[in-house]
Order: sequence, then C-alpha cells, then structure tokens
Amino acid sequence: MGERIVFTIAAASALASGTLVVTLKEPFRATVALIGTLLSLAVLFVLLAAPFVAAIQVIVYAGAIVVLFLFVIAYLGERPLVEIGDRLGRYQVFAWLAVIVLGIQGFIVLGTTKLDGFRDDPKVVSDIGSPEAIGRSFIDSYIVPFEATSLVLLVAAIGAVMLAKRAVKSEGGR
Amino acid sequence: MSSVLAMGTAAVGDPQEGVPLALYLGVSGGLFLLGLLGVLTRRNPLLLFLAVELLLNSANLSLVGFSRYWNVTDGHVFALVVMVVAAAEVVIGLGLVVAVFRQRLALDVDQMSSMKG
Repeated sequence: MGERIVFTIAAASALASGTLVVTLKEPFRATVALIGTLLSLAVLFVLLAAPFVAAIQVIVYAGAIVVLFLFVIAYLGERPLVEIGDRLGRYQVFAWLAVIVLGIQGFIVLGTTKLDGFRDDPKVVSDIGSPEAIGRSFIDSYIVPFEATSLVLLVAAIGAVMLAKRAVKSEGGR
Repeated sequence: MSSVLAMGTAAVGDPQEGVPLALYLGVSGGLFLLGLLGVLTRRNPLLLFLAVELLLNSANLSLVGFSRYWNVTDGHVFALVVMVVAAAEVVIGLGLVVAVFRQRLALDVDQMSSMKG
C-alpha cells in the first residue's frame, strides 16, 4: 500500500510540474518547475527498482543539465521577449489536435493491450538496478553503444567550443 | 491526465501492494503529451528545450518501467544512454541560443529559419 501512496504523490507532482514547465512563460520559472518533474521521476525510478538510474537522474539531470539551463538564462539576463506578431498562431490548433489524437491513441492502446500481467502486481525482480548489474551489462553486451555514447559526448563538447569561438570571432574578438 | 487517473481506479481491482506497469506507462504518456504540446506551441528556444527534456524523461520512464516488467537490465542501460544524449543536445542547443543572443537577434525559433552564419 505504501508503494502506491508514494507512486500517487510522485506521479501527481511529476504531471503537475510538467504542466507548469509547458505553461509558464518565463524561462527561469519553467526551469525550476522542470527540477520538480526530474526529482519526482527519480522517486518513480526508485520505485521501479532502479536506484542507480535514479541517482544518475538527480546528479546529471537535476545537477548538471538544469544548472546549465540556469547559467544560460542568467547570462541572457532579463531580456524583454520581443513579441513579433505571431504569424503561426492560428496553426496552434493543429498542435492541440495532434496531442489530443495521440492521447486517445495511447489510451486505447493501454486499455486494449493483452500483455501478460500488465495490470497486476509486478513480479518480484532480481537485482537489475544496482551499479554492478548495470556495469556488467555495459561491459558484457553493450560495449559498442557505450563507446559510441562517449564519442557523442566528445563531439558535443568540441561542437560547443567551436560555436562559442565563432560567436566571439563574429564580434571582432580573438 | 484524467485518463491516467481513470486508469488508476480501473486497475485497482483488489488491494495490491505494488504498482502495475500500466500506471507507469500512463504517467509516461501524460508527460510525453505535455512535452509534445510544449514543443509544438512554444517559440522561445529555451522553453522549447525544456519541453524536449520532458519528452526524453517520459521515454526514460517507460524504458525503466519495461525493464522492471521483463526483469532485465537493458532498459536501465538505454535510459543512461538517453541521458547522455540529452546532455549533449542541451550543450549544443544552449550554445546555439547564446550564439544567436550575441548577434543581437530575437530569441524566436520562427526567426531562426536561415542556416547562414
């Protein structure tokens, strides 16, 4: 029963702060709301027997990515948003249409699926979420994706440096 | 969101201990729809990236949920890979935002339609 209570609270807070992320107009407040979503999802990860992923979620997402967002927002400063007439405003109805249709689709799929034990108590799991199990999985069967991921990070870091360099150059700096 | 709650009451047939996979997928789907709505309607690139983070996180939630359902580690591994890709995407995206800002241009994705440097 306790697991259900924690799940309900975490799921409600994830969806509520997700709504805030999408509705708030000010980037700083939306970012703070995103922290709420990320922490609630970390709680859900713990419930799903994934403590390592939950820890990484808190450290990498709430710790690094959100801080990067906040740095950039602070750097850009309080800049009044230039409101250029919204030429595409009238097409927003299609965005709503797409979201509603996708929601109905997902609801039907979740309601009609015949997956075994989909709506029942989950079975007891073995040790799948510990750092040891994940490390073994990386080394034993996913070594190539692991290396490819590190390459992606390297390319992103170099790309960010090049972007910054070009921006400085275009202003007459070094 | 109300659909998720309806699923919750429908899934509770008898008193249970744990939480079934269906509820996790409902939460994940709700977050995905929110993120999709944000991506489709926002025009400030910063808010757009925040919505993309919501999308990636909802995918992570269903990955970890299915990992628990099938009792394998693969979903966790892939969720970690998704987090790395999200970090890379944020670094490049915010680099672009700062570069656009330094050129004194408006922060509006509708205005950033040209690839010229």
